[in-house]
Amino acid sequence: MNAQTLKQEIALTITRVFDAPRSLVFEVWTTPEHLVRWWGPKDFTVPAITVDFREGGAWRTCIRSPEGQDYWAHGIYREIVPQSRIVLTFRWEEESATDTLITVTFEEAAGGTRLTFHQTPFPTVESRDSHAEGWGECMDRLAIYVAGQKEAVE
Amino acid sequence: MSKVLVSMDQLSTTLSALADPTRRAIIARLAAGEATVNELAAPFDMSLPAVSKHLKVLERAGLISRGRNAQWRPCRLEARPMKEIADWIEPYRRFWDGSFDRLESYLQEIQGKESDQG
Repeated sequence: MNAQTLKQEIALTITRVFDAPRSLVFEVWTTPEHLVRWWGPKDFTVPAITVDFREGGAWRTCIRSPEGQDYWAHGIYREIVPQSRIVLTFRWEEESATDTLITVTFEEAAGGTRLTFHQTPFPTVESRDSHAEGWGECMDRLAIYVAGQKEAVE
Repeated sequence: MSKVLVSMDQLSTTLSALADPTRRAIIARLAAGEATVNELAAPFDMSLPAVSKHLKVLERAGLISRGRNAQWRPCRLEARPMKEIADWIEPYRRFWDGSFDRLESYLQEIQGKESDQG
């Protein structure tokens, strides 16, 4: 994990540019037929998936490892701005799992569509902008510190 | 009651303590180095009692350690809870990196384009 993964707060941030129009990159997040084709790590299958893609709607998926181990997860769509943003909760169905909040944004970019993925263990939607303004530099230091600690202990 | 506290998942304790954005900001500041309560209060425009309240929560969660004379001895960040968070995030990164790799291939496929990978 590098400093960028914790830029604004304690979170996972991934940015990718996909060679596809924004409408398509957005669309493949919205139906089970699409999701089953890419959801989950390499070599996993998706034996079950239900999606009610609307604000307040629920989703639930099962991913199956190559060894046949099933992992269920579910959540609620908190916010949907077509072609632009999806905010959803994500929680593994296991003991001591915590709620996480995922924000995915879709922007046109050179080369197609920039997808910014952000997952935080703090499911309350805060006014990130107002808090992060003055603390951005501190958060970068936090990210570097955590990354440094991880390397030191390994 | 003590049995419940002892069996509580350490990560949950850490995350609970960090669920407050002010406390995350304090942790971020301490990541840059030790600081006294006075030093912590100043840049955040926060009263000493308010900072102390947050520090108590962080200390109880094992995220920071403080000297006996809290006002004079610095607070310092404890590494292990932060590493636990980093470790906890790591599988999520693998999950989503893997998913986005597959997403990339899928997008190529449904657009009828050649995939770069074999």
